[in-house]
Amino acid sequence: MENSVKGDGLMVPKNLQPFKPFSRSNTRSTAFESTGIGYTLLALGPSLSLFIAVIAKKPFLILTLLSSTLVWLISLIVLSGLWRAFLPFKTGSLWPCTLIILTSVAFQEALRPLFWKIYKRLEDILDAFADRVSKPRLFITDKMQIALAGGMGHGVAHAVFFCLSLLTPAFGPGTYYVEKCSQMSFFLVSAVIALAFVTIHTLSMVIAFNGYAEGNKVDQYFVPAVHLIAAMLTLVNLAQGGCIIGIPLLYIMALLTMGHCGKMVWRRLTEIRSRQGSSF
Amino acid sequence: MEPGGSILESIGQEIIGVMSPVSICMFLVVLLVYSLYNPATATTIRTAANLVYMESPTDSTSQKLEGSLLNAVVFVILIALVTFLLVLLYYYNCTKFLVYYTRFAAFAVFSSMGGSVLLSLIQHFNFPVDVVTFCVLHFNFTIVGTLCVLSSGGPIVLKQSYMVALGIIVAAWFTKLPEWTTWVLLVALAIYDLVAVLAPGGPLKMLVELASSRDEELPALIYEARPTADMGRSGIRGSSLGLLVGGVMGDNSGSNSFEIELQAVLRNEDNNGNENGDGESIINVLENESSEIEVVEDDVGESSPLIGGTSLVERLPSPSERRNNDNANGSSRENESQREDGAEGLRGLKLGLGDFIFYSVLVGRAAMYDLMTVYACYLAIISGLGCTLILLAVCRHALPALPISIALGILFYFLTRLLMEPFVVGTSTSLAMF
Repeated sequence: MENSVKGDGLMVPKNLQPFKPFSRSNTRSTAFESTGIGYTLLALGPSLSLFIAVIAKKPFLILTLLSSTLVWLISLIVLSGLWRAFLPFKTGSLWPCTLIILTSVAFQEALRPLFWKIYKRLEDILDAFADRVSKPRLFITDKMQIALAGGMGHGVAHAVFFCLSLLTPAFGPGTYYVEKCSQMSFFLVSAVIALAFVTIHTLSMVIAFNGYAEGNKVDQYFVPAVHLIAAMLTLVNLAQGGCIIGIPLLYIMALLTMGHCGKMVWRRLTEIRSRQGSSF
Repeated sequence: MEPGGSILESIGQEIIGVMSPVSICMFLVVLLVYSLYNPATATTIRTAANLVYMESPTDSTSQKLEGSLLNAVVFVILIALVTFLLVLLYYYNCTKFLVYYTRFAAFAVFSSMGGSVLLSLIQHFNFPVDVVTFCVLHFNFTIVGTLCVLSSGGPIVLKQSYMVALGIIVAAWFTKLPEWTTWVLLVALAIYDLVAVLAPGGPLKMLVELASSRDEELPALIYEARPTADMGRSGIRGSSLGLLVGGVMGDNSGSNSFEIELQAVLRNEDNNGNENGDGESIINVLENESSEIEVVEDDVGESSPLIGGTSLVERLPSPSERRNNDNANGSSRENESQREDGAEGLRGLKLGLGDFIFYSVLVGRAAMYDLMTVYACYLAIISGLGCTLILLAVCRHALPALPISIALGILFYFLTRLLMEPFVVGTSTSLAMF
């Protein structure tokens, strides 16, 4: 139980106590913990700031975040249930990985309209409640914030399950390298990829909800396309030294998503503002 | 906050008020487990939970299963006996004795178990602290905690923090139990909780009914989440959760009016008044107490958790009755405002300490495997708690908080461990993610 072989010859020890032969000086242990915290913040830092600035103030958004994370966790469990019979596959081989990623992305994107339907129902309930307590109905910024919280749930679920759960050895001495990408330590690579995916997932939900609300086909198809392309780009990492190309391309997709989302939000806000005619 | 603020500012506040201390407790227990747990040197302790069978890693599976079942049954019987004793004492009005005993139990937990946790932390991290300083600080910590937890004086934040500390200490101690025993014990306690709260002869149900018929607080350790003062300012006092769920029910029943009529027990001192702008109806939001009890001791029994905190919404049917009740409400509202700053102020949701403890035990045990299982179990428990709270708003009487959360938690733990981990670790170590 102490050591287990996971994946492509990567040994990850199961016990959680880092090996510390001399525990007399505190500086050594803080150095180890700080690298672990560093990798964690690399993957989740922007989400944490977004959380503290926007979401923590409104309890309903925290609840949305938690339920969204739960939904994506369940989707991951269902996917792994489907593929369990074929595991462990020879990691590093192209076709099984491609198939797995295609099916996973398809399943997750199929969940998104479902999310939207639940959200519509919730919006009706909230509007009825607002009428009953004589308060204004949901503003457009409220709706976007709910979408943002939903997307952030997706991003946080991805970061935790794909990156943070493997970071436990990073809190101790030593580090690991993957053969295919030996320039940086495995922890750094996975944290960097996780950051890109968190951005993509968080903003995709905003774009998708807006697309469904307005009936805008471009937005509706933009989100699954970006998800698929981003997932396919990570397949480039399977080649030897592929991560040098794969990761910058992934960041280009993330920046594309950011740009599109920013443009869309700006357009909607100015539309509403000009429609109202007075200050928002 | 401007009066025209969106509803998104305030909705869902009570749920977060209960979920945050639970989350903090679980997080700190996970940190404790991560820093102090060492599988090579873990010594099993002899407690009430493994009186019959001391598990060792070399036993066969069937032996471990049988032994754990025996342990769990013995523990549940012990707890049931002690709870019945508690009901008996409460029935015969030995409330003083119960209060003093709970204070003694809190003192024992803070001093002995809390002291041992602090000592292992100091040993592990090599804090440079001497015996005298430690004794003085620990003594202060214990005494303030004992004074705070059961009395109504003192700032509410201090009381809440000490409750969470109590939960952390007992949960950290419980995680020392062997693995199979822990899981079977959690299942057994969830079933016991369900039976004790909902079945007609259940001890906790009797306790809640006794307490509500006498209209006093239970002499037990219950975490109370107070609503914030903002709600009073915005003119909506009482539970917005109740109104929201009631609205859903109103919509579902297809009626045009959004009023909800329920059988309500009128208690004058609990009335919070709330008037609509156009004065069409006066909605009294009554809040009953919930019960959740007790503290864990190793040789003394423990109580099972309940969750409560119901809000009953009553609509006054006719103008004449409304006038009469206006007078009653007026006077009671005055009483209410006089005691606003006192202990009887706005009531919030209450969750028993046993819930905190067993949620944290489950997450702590998940932490001994992997971080993925921790996160999955955390989400499962929080969603179970959310479901229970929604059920509470619908059912409006005390509900057991353990069963749904523990069931979901165990389900997600085994699903994650068996299904998800090979899948996700396989793809992410090849750096192929989605």
